[in-house]
Amino acid sequence: MKPTNTPSAALDVSVEDVTVTYNNGTVAIHDATFRLSGGVICALVGVNGSGKSTLFKAIMGFLEPAKGRVRVGGETIRVAQKRNWVAYVPQAEEVDWSFPVNVWDVVLMGRYGYMNFLRMAGAEDKRIAEESLRRVQMWDFRDRQIGELSGGQKKRVFLARALAQQGRVILLDEPFTGVDVKTEAAIITLLRELRDSGHIILVSTHDLGSVPEFCDQAVIINRTVLAFGSIADVFTEANLTRAFGGVLRHFRFDESTVQKHDGRAVTVLSDEERPLVFGKDGHLEFSQRTGREAIVESRSEGEDDQ
Amino acid sequence: MIESLVVPFQYDYMVKAMWVSALIGGVCGLLSCFVTLKGWSLMGDALSHAVVPGVTIAYLLGAPFALGAFLSGLLAAVGMGFVKARTSLREDAVIGVVFTTFFALGVLLISLFPAGLSLRTIVFGNMLGISDSDVFQLVIISAMTLLVLALKWKDLVLFCFDPNQARTLGLNPTILHFTLLTLLAATAVASMQTVGACLVVATLVTPGATAYLLTDRFNRMLGIAGAIGVSTGFLGAYASYYLDGSTGGCIVVLQTLLFLVAFVLAPRHGLLASRTKRRLALAGGAA
Repeated sequence: MKPTNTPSAALDVSVEDVTVTYNNGTVAIHDATFRLSGGVICALVGVNGSGKSTLFKAIMGFLEPAKGRVRVGGETIRVAQKRNWVAYVPQAEEVDWSFPVNVWDVVLMGRYGYMNFLRMAGAEDKRIAEESLRRVQMWDFRDRQIGELSGGQKKRVFLARALAQQGRVILLDEPFTGVDVKTEAAIITLLRELRDSGHIILVSTHDLGSVPEFCDQAVIINRTVLAFGSIADVFTEANLTRAFGGVLRHFRFDESTVQKHDGRAVTVLSDEERPLVFGKDGHLEFSQRTGREAIVESRSEGEDDQ
Repeated sequence: MIESLVVPFQYDYMVKAMWVSALIGGVCGLLSCFVTLKGWSLMGDALSHAVVPGVTIAYLLGAPFALGAFLSGLLAAVGMGFVKARTSLREDAVIGVVFTTFFALGVLLISLFPAGLSLRTIVFGNMLGISDSDVFQLVIISAMTLLVLALKWKDLVLFCFDPNQARTLGLNPTILHFTLLTLLAATAVASMQTVGACLVVATLVTPGATAYLLTDRFNRMLGIAGAIGVSTGFLGAYASYYLDGSTGGCIVVLQTLLFLVAFVLAPRHGLLASRTKRRLALAGGAA
């Protein structure tokens, strides 16, 4: 009667030739194909309008592909969801934070699939909900209305809900937006633990810099899958430039004020703000030497003195 | 003094008006929590006007009024969904166009076939003149709504709060959407009898909005809104005996008074509370 969810069962997520079109005929994404098998942390990377969120929604079954299919453990998304295989952590903007629910209510919502027709929480549901909240260090906040939490705490509550659901596949939408650095590190640690216990974790993000820090694989999207594979293979300047085009900021440091240039130049790619770069003795670096001759001069002298 | 206070209880029509108003008030109060949190206030208004042609046609055909009202309410809801999906018009414009069309059709039908049905009754309600067969229909509607809410309120809360999570858990948000819409249409029909089509939206929004200001938990919100609906329904009908005024007007005015009290005095979300909080924050900042 209860949905089966054996932790030992190896799952895989396969996206096969998925094409999604909108009502007005626009093709959001076409012929997307990739396959994940656990445990793995995979990033879904692309600019706004690249079809990234559309593909994400298709994988979660919120949108029906016009062509192709998504399978989880060989089953359709509907079956996988009924078996509680797939858990989802929404973007902060998608949640109504003024809704009259507290942290405990939200985490128990992850257990609805295991509860009876009336959604009455049993002892097992409460035990798992508590364990999940403790795992993200949010147990002490269980009576708080969700709007009273900080950005990082909010994210941890929804992560706890996904943990309580005990899905083998966890999808996270922009998990680090509005989250402090400490929480980001804690979330990454948790995701790694989940990966090591065989979970498939798919993270949709535009935060390029964080991807190599914690992901094993990446799917790079621009209207279709441009590249899929391990981070080292696909996170190349060429692929990212193709995916991000004019949106990406380039900082090549072979012309910079970095001292003792020896041709081993550094390139910084950023999709958002321009990065601030500091040299090894802590002073600010500029990406162009033109107009900064005095600075370059003074720093060279400083180094000569040592 | 006491004797004059129990006068309304000596008349059968008053007793009937009071308990039916309390029952419908309670049901609407419960549903108003979902309406306010889902942002469907305008939808409630639209449905309550859209049921008018259905009621008129049902009377003309001699069919149960609830059936006619219900069908035309759902037709309007489907119509709005259809227009919205096919155009890039904003939702409020679509609702505005569709529900006024239905209401106009109703007004036209009543004026063409004036026998047996007055526009006044539909627009302003007529609780004191309600027939036993109408009471029977209202009790059936209320009982069914209460049953669905008792069994499925948690799923409906999840649907209002996070439809994507509902889907992730294997629930069907489309079914939940239409369940809520159906309950809304049904209670709009019921409430039309007590307060009239014009004021239905008040009973479907105000108790929930008041309760929202008073608590941060949904189950308590349901309790408070339900209690507000029952008490204002009962007292509104009771007061209308002495004022010799419109039952619907009394009920809605009472609800508005309660809302104003909560708006000013609510312990956390009230006007005074937020002013105190701001002052404390400023004092804390200065110290």
